[in-house]
Amino acid sequence: MTVRNWLIAVMVMMSCLPGCEPASTNPNNPSGNVLKDKPPAAQLTPIEIQLNWKPEAEHGGYYAALVHGYFAEEGLDVKLTPGGPGTPLMESVATNRIPFGVDNADKLLRARAEDAEVVAVFAPIQDSPRCILVHEESGIKQLSDLQTTPGVTLAWNDSQPFAKFLSKKFDLSQLQMTKYSGVGPFLLDKKYAMQAYNISEPFLAKQEGAKPVTLLLSDAGFNTYTSLLLTNPKVISGQPELVRSVLRASLKGWRRYLTDAGETNRHIAGLNPEMPEDVLAFGVTELQALCRPNDLPEDQIGRMEAERWQTLVRQLEEIQLIDANAVQAESAFTTEFLSQ
Amino acid sequence: MTPNAHSWSRAILPPLLLFVVVLVVWEVAITALRVPKFILPSPLAVAQAAWKYGPELRTGLAFTSGAAITGFLASFVIGTLIAIAFSQSSLIRSSCYPYAIFLQTVPIMAIAPLIILWFGTGFHSVVLVAFIISLFPIITNVTSGLLAVDPDLIDLFRLNNASRWQVLWKLRLPNSVPAMCIGAKTSSGLAVVGSIVGEFFAGYSEKWYGLGYLIPAWKEGLKQDRLFAAILASTLLGLAIFTLVNVISASVLSRWYHVPNDES
Repeated sequence: MTVRNWLIAVMVMMSCLPGCEPASTNPNNPSGNVLKDKPPAAQLTPIEIQLNWKPEAEHGGYYAALVHGYFAEEGLDVKLTPGGPGTPLMESVATNRIPFGVDNADKLLRARAEDAEVVAVFAPIQDSPRCILVHEESGIKQLSDLQTTPGVTLAWNDSQPFAKFLSKKFDLSQLQMTKYSGVGPFLLDKKYAMQAYNISEPFLAKQEGAKPVTLLLSDAGFNTYTSLLLTNPKVISGQPELVRSVLRASLKGWRRYLTDAGETNRHIAGLNPEMPEDVLAFGVTELQALCRPNDLPEDQIGRMEAERWQTLVRQLEEIQLIDANAVQAESAFTTEFLSQ
Repeated sequence: MTPNAHSWSRAILPPLLLFVVVLVVWEVAITALRVPKFILPSPLAVAQAAWKYGPELRTGLAFTSGAAITGFLASFVIGTLIAIAFSQSSLIRSSCYPYAIFLQTVPIMAIAPLIILWFGTGFHSVVLVAFIISLFPIITNVTSGLLAVDPDLIDLFRLNNASRWQVLWKLRLPNSVPAMCIGAKTSSGLAVVGSIVGEFFAGYSEKWYGLGYLIPAWKEGLKQDRLFAAILASTLLGLAIFTLVNVISASVLSRWYHVPNDES
């Protein structure tokens, strides 16, 4: 038959196809196939949470909530999307392209200063793991010693807020500064200092026989809430129950991660070859003090204080990373979803 | 208007007008659609940022252009020498050419951090990255220019008892000049890209930093207006170097192509 007739025949056949399927109004199960057991995932709401880096111990509680089914219990099919350098996390959450994100307080405030409306609802890591790592042999015992010890090379990403804070607080002009490039160079030079997270690099250094000393930024007064659960005003006002659900599951996840991290760490190690299980296990032991400083009760994990936020705003203004009065501390976070 | 001025205005005016139209549409779209500044800044905001951060952009531009030009000149000289070696020995050519191709295909974002690790941070490593990425077009173009000589001319030289060196210097090299220019145009643009990528990983000192240092730093702070200004500066740098190479090529080639005319 002619091409035209053939095309008409095909179109007629295709228009009959929808009638072959039983109609279903369930968007999670459009084929409406009732003959086999619906897998649980078909009934859960898909939700994406954007992480600020590749999966690591600092995301442990969220992964625990995933692995142990706490998100599923809340009716949520959560996807934890790993991030990396250059991931547009704040932009994605502010425009509601992704409803939730995980990032740190200083990054949040810098985003808010650029009119990105991102709000923190949960702060599982109360004290920042950010530190400067030095060798015991260098004799440096606290951050101020960096000013007076000769011959020190400091490897860090100097545009980071903590770096600008330290540069302002201490006179680091005689230090040889270089770009952070991992533990390798650290191991070769006893006078080498580098930026680190106290939940990972010290373990890696010790494994290679070094004697690292961690100098916490929080001891110098710069303490950012870490691995905050972030969302935007649209989700907070339009879907408060969703926020409550995600937060409830995350809290359970963090409580589980701090006490029983084995299965979660196996999962994380599988996702991120750079983080073997022994490093993650070390991270969990260090996280106890960071997540629950001063014996914070388990059910208060994630709490936030206005004073901490106000201090951070002031510090960022002082190091000129945000303009004065560009950010109101009170609007950067909300405690309405925390149980206390 | 003189013919020259007329042809210049025909070349410059249309793209300039288009540029102005695009700027106006961009500015209007930002305002009308209320695009937040951390997604896309308005042209005015970019212009203001370029003004306010002029000193930083100038420092960055100086460092990056220095690294790009140095890397490009190195790749031009060394690439030509390698191409000469390739043209003189088929053994060298067949054994080494595949590795030259490797230079073309290796992803620079993977190589740059390795170079920084092995050679340290600083200007020399950025130049090395720019050099590596811009080497291949020179090698490949100059090699083919040196080899693609009319065989009759080679016979002519041989008949006159020309030495290998005379064939190279008086026949092959002049023959390769047009190909050299083509290679140089490609390499110059790649050298700028290589410098900026190298600077992503290479770091800085307090006084010296390149555009490739400013771009990630501003991106991280969501400072899109400054980021766009830096990207614009990088583009203009690439354009400037490309234009310079083009102008030099055109003057060299016009001199070259005049020779047959003078003889007739």
